[in-house]
Amino acid sequence: MLTIDSVSKSLGEFSLSNVSLSVEDGEYFIVLGPTGAGKTILLETIAGIYTPDAGRILLNGRDITDVPAKDRNIGMVYQDYMLFPHLTVEANIGFGLKSRRADPAFIRGKVKESADLLNIGHLLQRYPGTLSGGEQQRTAIARALVMEPEALLLDEPLSALDVKTRESLRAELARIHEATGTTIVHITHNFEEVFDLADRVAIMRGGDVVQVGTPEEIFRRPNSDFVAGFVGVENLLRGTGSSDGTVAVGDLRIRAENGLTGPVSVAIRPEEITLSKVPLPENGRNVFSGRIDSVRPNGGLVRVSVDAGVPFRVTLTRQGFEETGIASGDAVYLAFRPSAAHIYPSGEGEEA
Amino acid sequence: MNLKNTSYFRTATVAVALIIAAFIVMVIIGVVTHSPVDVLIESLLSEEIQFAIRLSIITSVISTLLCILVAVPVAYALTRYSFPGKTVMNMLMDIPMALPPLVAGVGLLLFFGVSPVGKSLAAAGLAFVFTPLGIIMAQFFVNLPYMLRVTRSTFQGVNPRYEHVAKTLGCTDAQAFWRVTLPMSWNGLLAGSVITWSKGIGEFGAGLMVAGATRMKTETLPLSLYLNMSTGKLEFAIAAATILIMISVISLYAFERYGGATHVY
Repeated sequence: MLTIDSVSKSLGEFSLSNVSLSVEDGEYFIVLGPTGAGKTILLETIAGIYTPDAGRILLNGRDITDVPAKDRNIGMVYQDYMLFPHLTVEANIGFGLKSRRADPAFIRGKVKESADLLNIGHLLQRYPGTLSGGEQQRTAIARALVMEPEALLLDEPLSALDVKTRESLRAELARIHEATGTTIVHITHNFEEVFDLADRVAIMRGGDVVQVGTPEEIFRRPNSDFVAGFVGVENLLRGTGSSDGTVAVGDLRIRAENGLTGPVSVAIRPEEITLSKVPLPENGRNVFSGRIDSVRPNGGLVRVSVDAGVPFRVTLTRQGFEETGIASGDAVYLAFRPSAAHIYPSGEGEEA
Repeated sequence: MNLKNTSYFRTATVAVALIIAAFIVMVIIGVVTHSPVDVLIESLLSEEIQFAIRLSIITSVISTLLCILVAVPVAYALTRYSFPGKTVMNMLMDIPMALPPLVAGVGLLLFFGVSPVGKSLAAAGLAFVFTPLGIIMAQFFVNLPYMLRVTRSTFQGVNPRYEHVAKTLGCTDAQAFWRVTLPMSWNGLLAGSVITWSKGIGEFGAGLMVAGATRMKTETLPLSLYLNMSTGKLEFAIAAATILIMISVISLYAFERYGGATHVY
C-alpha cells in the first residue's frame, strides 16, 4: 500500500498543500485534474525527486519520506518518454538493472521479457529518435517495469500520442496492469482514461485533493461544483434543502437521492433527463413542464436547452431526439429519477 | 531576375553584405599571400616559429583542459542547483570575458607576483610570472567564461527529467550525471572546447602581461607575431599570422559543425 500522509511541497508556481491519499496494493489509481493542479509534483514527490516540506510517504509499511529516489524502487514514466537518446532501446530498458550491477546475461533476459510484454521485442537495437511516439512510450514503460517496481507512476502517459495510438496504448495499460498486478498511479487531465483504467480516482485542484472515489462515484456524485464541472455535469442548480428530502430550486421542488438541509447545489447529468411532448407519469420521478429554448445537434448527440422556470440542459441521442418529435419553442415535459439528482452543500465541497 | 520585384532596399542591403565579405577575404588573403611561398615555408620551419607553434599548442591544450575541468562542475551547479549567491556568482563568472585582456593580465600579474598567495605558490615552485605557466594561467583566466557559457547552455538544454528517471532507475546524482547528462552534452562540450582552444591559441594581452614577451621562452604564436613585427622580421610575423588564420578557420568550421549539430533534447 502506498500512503501519502498530509504531504506539502512548495515549488515556485506549483505546490501541494496537505495532500493525503492512500493507494491499495495492485490498485490502478488515477489522479485527475487540470493543468497546474500539482499532479506532476505529487508524482515526483512520491518518486523521491523532491523531499516534502511536511508530511510522510509510506510504501508497504516502510517510511520512505527520506529515502533517496534510487532506493525507493518506484518506477516513473513521463509524458515525453524521456528515453536516453544516446542509448539503444535495449540499453534504455536495461539501464536500471545495470545500475544494480546485475549480470549482463540476466539483464538481456529480463530486457527481452519486458520488451515482449510491451510488443517491442523487434525494436531492441533501434535508437529512440527513430521510433514513433507509441513505440517510445512502450519503451519507457518497459524500462520502468523491468525493475519490478513496488509502484509505477505514470505522468500523463497518453497525452502526447495521437488518438489511435492513445486508444491502443490505453488497452495495453489495462492488460499490463492485469498481467503484472503492479500498483499504478496514473495522472491525467483526460476524463476518458478514467473509465477504462481506474479502480479509483482522485480529483486534484490547486495542489489539493478535492474528492476520491470510484469512477462511478465521481461521475455521478461529485462533491463540489469544481468536480461536477470537471466530469461534465451540465446542470448545476442552486437551491435550499429541506428536511423532507426535497430541494427548492426557484419554484420547483426536486426530489434528490440524498437529503441535506440549507443551501445546496443539485448536480444532474444532462443525459439522465428524459423529454416528452405528452405528459409523463411520475412513478416516483421528478417531472416538470417547460419550453424548448434551443436545439443543437452535435455529432451523434443533440443538446437541448429547456426552460422549466429554471434552465435545464438535456443531451439525447439523435435517434432518441427524433422519436420525441420536438422542436424549438415546443412545450415539453422533462423527467429524471431522484437518484439522478445528486446534492452537496453549496460553495466549495471541501471534504474529500 | 525580374526588375519589378527587386526593391532598392534589397539591393542596398545585399550590396553592403557583398562589400564587407569581399573586404574580409581581401584582408586574409593579403596576409597569407604576402610572402613568396618558399620564404613562407622557410619561416615556418625556422627554429623560432617551430618553438612558438610548440609552445602555443602545449599551453592552449593544457589551458583548455583546465577550462573543461572547471567549467563542467561550475556550469552544472549553476544550472541544476539553487544556492545563496547564485545570481551574483553567475555575473562574476562572466567578468573576465568583459574585461580587456590587458587588465586581466595586470590583475594576474599582481596576484601571482606580489600577493601572499602568489608568493607562497612561487616559493613552492609554481612560478607564474614570466614563465610558460603564466601563459597557461592567462589563457585559462580569460577563456574560462567562454567554456562556461557554452557548457551552461548545453546543460540547460538537457531536460532535468532525464536525470529524474535515471534516479528512479537506481542512479545517484553523480551516476545520473555520468551516464545521462554528460553523454547527452557531448556535442556541446566538444564545440565549447574547440572555441576555447582556438581562443587560447590566439590569447595575447593577458599572456603578455603575466609572462612577458621573451624570445624563445614565452614566445607563443601571437607573441611571436608581435615581437617579429616590432623588430621588422616581417616574414616571421607573416608565418605566425598564417598559422593563426588556419587555426581560426578550422576551429570555426568545427565549432559550427558540432555546435550546429547539437541536439536540443
